Amino acid sequence: MLKDWKLKEIVLMSLFGVVFGIVYLVFIHFGNIWAGIIGPIAYEWMFGIWFIVSIISMYIIRKPGAAVLPETLAALIEVLLGNAVGPRLILSGLVQGLGAEAAFAATRYRHFNLAILMLAGAGSAVFSFIYGYFISGYAALDPSFVAFMFTLRVLSGMVIAGMGGKYIADGLLATGSLRGYAISRSGKGDAGA
Amino acid sequence: MKHLLNDMNPSFKFVIVTLSMIVMAFFFNPWTPLIFCCGIVLLQILFSQTNWKLWLVCMLPFAFGAFGYLWTTIVFGRASSGTIIWSSGFFDITDQQLNLALSLSFRVLAFSVLSLMFAFTTAPVKFVMSLMQQMKLSPKLAYSVLVGYHFLPLIKDEFVQIKQVHEMRNVAVKNSRWLRLTSIYGMLIPTLASSVRKAESAAFAMEARGFTGEPRTSYFRPIRIKPRDYWLSLLFSALLAASCIIGVLLEK
Amino acid sequence: MPEEVIRLNNLSFRFPDCSKAVLHNVSAIIHRGERIAICGPSGCGKSTLLYLLNRLYPLNCDGIVSGEIRLFGKNGEHYAPGEINRRIATVFQDPDAQFCMPTVEEELAFTLENLHIPQADMEERIAGILSLTSLTEWRHSKIHSLSGGMKQRVAVACALIMDPEVLLLDEPLSHLDPVTARDFVCWLDRLQQLRQLTIIAVEHRLVHWKSFFKREIRLGKDGRVIADGPPAEIPALLFPSRLSGKAAEEALRIQGLAVEIDGKTRLSPLSFSLTRGEVTIVAGPNGSGKTTLLKALCGIHQASGTIQAISRRGYVPQSPEFMFLTQSVSQEVAYSGISSLQEIKGLMNRLDLSTIADSHPFSVSHGQKRRVAVGAMLADKRQILLMDEPTAGQDAASLQELYTLIGQRTAEGAAFVIVTHDMSFALAVADSVVLLKDGAMTGKYSAADFWTRDDLLLAHHLLAPEGVAIHEASIE
Repeated sequence: MLKDWKLKEIVLMSLFGVVFGIVYLVFIHFGNIWAGIIGPIAYEWMFGIWFIVSIISMYIIRKPGAAVLPETLAALIEVLLGNAVGPRLILSGLVQGLGAEAAFAATRYRHFNLAILMLAGAGSAVFSFIYGYFISGYAALDPSFVAFMFTLRVLSGMVIAGMGGKYIADGLLATGSLRGYAISRSGKGDAGA
Repeated sequence: MKHLLNDMNPSFKFVIVTLSMIVMAFFFNPWTPLIFCCGIVLLQILFSQTNWKLWLVCMLPFAFGAFGYLWTTIVFGRASSGTIIWSSGFFDITDQQLNLALSLSFRVLAFSVLSLMFAFTTAPVKFVMSLMQQMKLSPKLAYSVLVGYHFLPLIKDEFVQIKQVHEMRNVAVKNSRWLRLTSIYGMLIPTLASSVRKAESAAFAMEARGFTGEPRTSYFRPIRIKPRDYWLSLLFSALLAASCIIGVLLEK
Repeated sequence: MPEEVIRLNNLSFRFPDCSKAVLHNVSAIIHRGERIAICGPSGCGKSTLLYLLNRLYPLNCDGIVSGEIRLFGKNGEHYAPGEINRRIATVFQDPDAQFCMPTVEEELAFTLENLHIPQADMEERIAGILSLTSLTEWRHSKIHSLSGGMKQRVAVACALIMDPEVLLLDEPLSHLDPVTARDFVCWLDRLQQLRQLTIIAVEHRLVHWKSFFKREIRLGKDGRVIADGPPAEIPALLFPSRLSGKAAEEALRIQGLAVEIDGKTRLSPLSFSLTRGEVTIVAGPNGSGKTTLLKALCGIHQASGTIQAISRRGYVPQSPEFMFLTQSVSQEVAYSGISSLQEIKGLMNRLDLSTIADSHPFSVSHGQKRRVAVGAMLADKRQILLMDEPTAGQDAASLQELYTLIGQRTAEGAAFVIVTHDMSFALAVADSVVLLKDGAMTGKYSAADFWTRDDLLLAHHLLAPEGVAIHEASIE
């Protein structure tokens, strides 16, 4: 799979991981303050920020693996930076990335419109929720509460990762700095379809 | 002795930590995570040199999180049988529910202790090198991650610069919290645009020095597997097994 | 005649998304041991040519090549990826974006690992190259803690450890201060003689290289070779003469300005004043607090002391795009809403921005970006403009454009405080010079008598520009 990748594309994904790692830190301050008071639900609404690297990378690079790789790389970088959540992140990064990748694979990497990007955001949310359900023991919680958490996370994936990711990548595209990447070659073809 | 954990092969440590977390997820009694938690701290005290003050500071947010978990599970817990041990106007707490809540919040603590053990005793670059040498991580990925890691201070610096300049232009409008959040978007675009450029120069520089991404045949500083890595892994596994067994026994 | 190493036969190149060719029918033969400068204006394809020589292009950009590149007697296309890079090594422009390991030693080892050198031989080669390049004492230094000049030396060492026959350099001096640049050239001169290297450098200003190059290939704007031969006499960059816009009215007076960040003194108390239409150059070694001074003046850094001024100060960072907030040039200038529509229109016309009013501010040329930034500041009614390193990495045309921009604005009564390493530019533009060293101000000097003070210049890592003599003569 990696054979088709240019080195500059992989390094780009890695740097995106760093940038969004910083953004995530900004947000996690909001989360941490609330987590003690309102419990783990404090993080649910902003889960989408975690998935955004996948969406942006896939939207820009458009190659199989462009969703799962950056998410895993981003998690690995977080660990290198001494993120206290540690090695667990790598596993959850992989799972989330697979969720988004599944959505793109299901459409055979042909279309990259808003609906599919939002679907990919939702995919990440679903996968990460299943993983969380197991590892954090959501089974112990009241089903209606679990359903509420799930809805919140999926919405966050669709809105923050899907819509937000497209918005950011389009903003970046407009600057003209993405020349030489698939997104620039695609023309107007599928961007709005 | 005091460096044993720091010297342990990072890939071994990584596998053990991940494995422990997965195993831990199958246990719903409060004792297993609690015993495991204490065991890990004990090992870290014995076999590593740790800045415990810093450790406590890092632990604090997790402790908050664990507390949040505790009461969420009590209040929003699945309805269950068992003896009611405390009752308020809105909800009753049964002993089973309390057990479960304690178990989940101790699990949060156990994960945190484990993560901090890893973070405090593992050198980042060595970890990636070991992933490449022992876990066959593709050099393309490994070195890209290292590039990202080294660019962090640079990118952070740029982010701060962009933020400063934007604030200078926005003196009048920066006061609401919502606007501050939306201003992150304005800061992101220049940061990302400059990352795109940097990624290309870095990739070119690597290729210009003969980096093709194929597996390497020799390393300047090979990271080896030594007998102590097996012994330590065994020790961790024993701790894991002991806390699982004792936990289950104690619950009965 | 020494043997031939590179031969270009009617080489043309274009990018896939652009119908216009970047290089047109370039032909040249390069022999072992030659020292060649590739010169030309921005966008003439000099860097592209370099990337074709080390085979980073066309693969990395899917570019379209016609003609032939023969490397060491073999068609360039017949080399496996990475194979040619061992014989043709490259040093890039940006000292911060060409390393991937933390220390000098590990970075060198990275290169050796790429070449599949057995571990047993690595130590000897690393020690050897470090002593050849006089970098032994930096062996265990963290690369990111080194100065720009040292980073470029490390980059050269990393290239030379491959034992290459050809060394390509992509504007290696553009981020260095004048003294550091001069030292780098001397150092490279010695290395070239020791190793009998062929050196090919892209450079748009040969001033700092003195007589280093023996041959110059000059490309025209359209990517054709317009000259190939011994380097042309280096013309001192001549700026059209300018009447100082300095007026009597005081624009800015600062007293006891000091900056402390995280308990560390970054700027010791300093005082000076500025009149309308005055251009002050701030100069000093890297890390002497020049940028801190600008940021304190415009309020980005908290500072103690007093600032009295006719207006707020506007700051233009080295990368002007850092300050852009909108999607078009016209919105960017109008962003703050302080100036009326009429005023904005006039301003856009005077800055020659009307033709690109609807373009995305990121997608215009560097010179245009800078004009947009200046326009945005002037539209904010900021009459005192602080520019951080506007000359770094700029070619002659871009510098002349900047010169004109400053001249016109000072005539309208704006004052400038400019940080720069480019002393020939400073000579042309400055009314006065503020010298900084180690976070303290040495003094503010009138430009008229500053350039002959060799003691002052050297103490602040500066070199009198080539043009001083001419300048003096023209005054007499």
